[in-house]
Amino acid sequence: MKKFMLVFLIMALVIPATAALAQEQEPVSGGTFHRGMVISPRGMFNPILYTETYDAEVITAVYDSLVTANRELEIVPQIAKDWEFSEDGLELTFYLREGVKFHDGVELTAEDVKFTFKTILHPHYSGVRYGDFAVLKGAEAYNAEEVDYVEGIEIIDDYTIRFTTERVHAPLLSEFTYGILPSHILGDVPVAELEAHEFNQNPIGAGPFKFNEFRPDQHVVLDAFEDYYQEGPYLDRMVYQIVDDEARPVYLRQGRLDFVGISSEQIDMVQALDFVDVFDYEALGYSYICFNLRQERFDDNRVRQAVAYGFDRQTVVDIIYDGYSKVANAPMPTVSWAFTDEGINEYPYNPDRAIELMEEAGWERGADGVWEKEDMRMEFEFLYTEATRAQEQSMILFQQNMEDIGFKVNLRPMEFSAAVDRIDAREFDAFTLGWSLGVDPDPYGIWHSTSLWNDAGWVNERSDELIEKGRQTVDQEERAEIYAEWQRLMNEELPNVFFTYSVSVAAANERLMGIDRDPGPQGLFWTEILHELWIPADRQ
Amino acid sequence: MMTYLIRRVVFQGIPVLIGFTFLVFLMINFAPGDPVTHLRGVPDLDPRVIEQQKTRLGLDRPLIVRYFDWVGELLQGNLGRSFDSARRPVADLIKERMPVTILLSVSSIIIGWGVGIPVGIYSARRQYSLSDYTITFMAFVGVSIPNFFFGLILLYIFALILNVLPAGGYFRPGEDFTFLGMLSYLIMPALTLGLASIASITRYMRSSMLEVINQDYLRTARAKGLRDRVVIYKHALRNALIPILTLMGFMVPLIFSGAVITEQVFSWPGLGRMVIDATHQRNYPLMMGITLVFGVLTFLGNVIADIAYAIADPRIRYD
Repeated sequence: MKKFMLVFLIMALVIPATAALAQEQEPVSGGTFHRGMVISPRGMFNPILYTETYDAEVITAVYDSLVTANRELEIVPQIAKDWEFSEDGLELTFYLREGVKFHDGVELTAEDVKFTFKTILHPHYSGVRYGDFAVLKGAEAYNAEEVDYVEGIEIIDDYTIRFTTERVHAPLLSEFTYGILPSHILGDVPVAELEAHEFNQNPIGAGPFKFNEFRPDQHVVLDAFEDYYQEGPYLDRMVYQIVDDEARPVYLRQGRLDFVGISSEQIDMVQALDFVDVFDYEALGYSYICFNLRQERFDDNRVRQAVAYGFDRQTVVDIIYDGYSKVANAPMPTVSWAFTDEGINEYPYNPDRAIELMEEAGWERGADGVWEKEDMRMEFEFLYTEATRAQEQSMILFQQNMEDIGFKVNLRPMEFSAAVDRIDAREFDAFTLGWSLGVDPDPYGIWHSTSLWNDAGWVNERSDELIEKGRQTVDQEERAEIYAEWQRLMNEELPNVFFTYSVSVAAANERLMGIDRDPGPQGLFWTEILHELWIPADRQ
Repeated sequence: MMTYLIRRVVFQGIPVLIGFTFLVFLMINFAPGDPVTHLRGVPDLDPRVIEQQKTRLGLDRPLIVRYFDWVGELLQGNLGRSFDSARRPVADLIKERMPVTILLSVSSIIIGWGVGIPVGIYSARRQYSLSDYTITFMAFVGVSIPNFFFGLILLYIFALILNVLPAGGYFRPGEDFTFLGMLSYLIMPALTLGLASIASITRYMRSSMLEVINQDYLRTARAKGLRDRVVIYKHALRNALIPILTLMGFMVPLIFSGAVITEQVFSWPGLGRMVIDATHQRNYPLMMGITLVFGVLTFLGNVIADIAYAIADPRIRYD
């Protein structure tokens, strides 16, 4: 009898499950997808001019690009059906799909691609992307107004375009994730006037959704583009709703939002809603503690290692962040293909080891227990930006942990702009901030000794060498090996004490189909699969 | 009256606004940080770009020159372009949000005055009674609760638990715009913002009324047999209102500053949200534009209070 019951029970469980699965396999059209956004876009819906992620969210739905990144952050086709690098790695040729249309019905061709990237290199271009494409052959001459063409951009035919670089530059492919602009609309607009052009608030692209309405601080409405070149889009409409961060659980409760990122403090409240699912995933970014290595007292890597051993980062992750975070020991997110944990020291919490390291480095405790060496003293000001409660708590723990190992930390909370001012002027002892990263693992922009953002003032020949070599290696596996060595170097030298990898938490109404229920770094859905999202007919 | 108004606007209003905008201009520029800070989010940035952006925004020019540039543009009716990436005209940004903020402020004024004045009168007439003490106590509670906190309480009760009011916003795309629908969005932020003024107006009204109630002419009015209702509403109220009208002038800016927080909590798409954002971004032209608007409104509030004096009190004449 008992056995029978069990079989029956299993049947009962299996039948609805398969039914649900069958339903999931056949998307239907219709419905409005409401997604939440805490900060309003600016209204710069132009892929080559926007600077803020909130505008980008809209842009990725309105515009398609040559290529895009998939769940694993690999580059996959979008408008370009294929591409190839030449033998020497200097030429990158894209083969475009035929029949891709802009929202006004005009076909997208190589001419539009050329227009988009040539504009970025134009001397009057007002955006910030020049650096991404400066490596193209002839870019500098064009930018300096010596010639009126870019040698490195060459249309072969309507559906083939070739980019040539001065030197091999592996991250180049990932730069072609910027949306393609319609040259038949903007081609005659002087580049200097592009920024103030009304097109930016009424964009036309070739993406799965066409622009309908933007009301600042309220919402953005996009409608399905019927002539999209791939399957779908299934959703009739996509609405970006601006919502106060505190009110997010209430919006979910009222069914006003189908999807929104939430804070880890809101998880319990949202999980109590039976029609909303909560997901967490490691995002592309990390937080760190930066010491000013221009000061001699921080210049010895044993001192930084002592900080790493002496700061109980695991407790921050487990207790303060409730597990919604991850200890970092190198500046490469674990979700990147370039990540390695081989030969990486985890610097587990060990105050005794920290003290040993300080003694090895020749420091001695002063009368008040703080380390001293010659005329130096290990007391410093520590900047952090106005923060959430969790961040505040971790700072206090940091201060306490440091006191235990003879470092006197004077915490100084500051507003972001004010803190950045001090950091840019290099008038700081130490601070903590975070980086969000792009899909390509190239660390040049942050970590090369000549980089603008080398706040620590760290100069290391071997690191520069590896970073440069990584850029010049097209093969992904070879590149990964170079970055693995670089991570080991960073882990040993600790130019920053790496703190945590960020974990994002998002909530979705269960009616939202086509999302990734085991989200990777790109979250529940991303550019590549926007057109595949759908809502079951009975729940529209 | 007319000459007074002209004098007031031309000889007082304009110099005050000039001095005021100049001070604000200095203050926001002396604050640490600058408008290109957000470029920190762009890892592969070419260093030249930062300088280019600063030049484009005119930040490489001396402070004093920039202020007079701003005034010069203003005289031609131009508030300049916002510093954020969309570079939209400041006037447009303000125009889009102004009506929404005014709707909220006016509603909260109606709530504040509509409730505060009668309750204050009631409280004064029953001085030292239990209801007077209760009202006084509640008024202190009302003044003490921070706006955002009261807003959150409302949000959790009426939106999360009872689920009878929308959690925020102004209206929803796809929804038909109806008066009732709009009211359902407006009621919580307006109550939140109104609460603080209810409380303070009740207090002012009570004390102002008490002062008048003990005057001789009221005793005379009662003595000649007028009904209590007439004595209070015809004779006492008009006199008691005069100090309250002064308050009105002061409260206009207070209401706008309260709106900054309330709009945030209820995702109300008004000027308030923009103020916070503009401040964090060091968006100088936008900050100046909003400041100017608030300055003008405050000034107008005071002028209106002056006119209201004359109406409430026949002894007051401006010539």
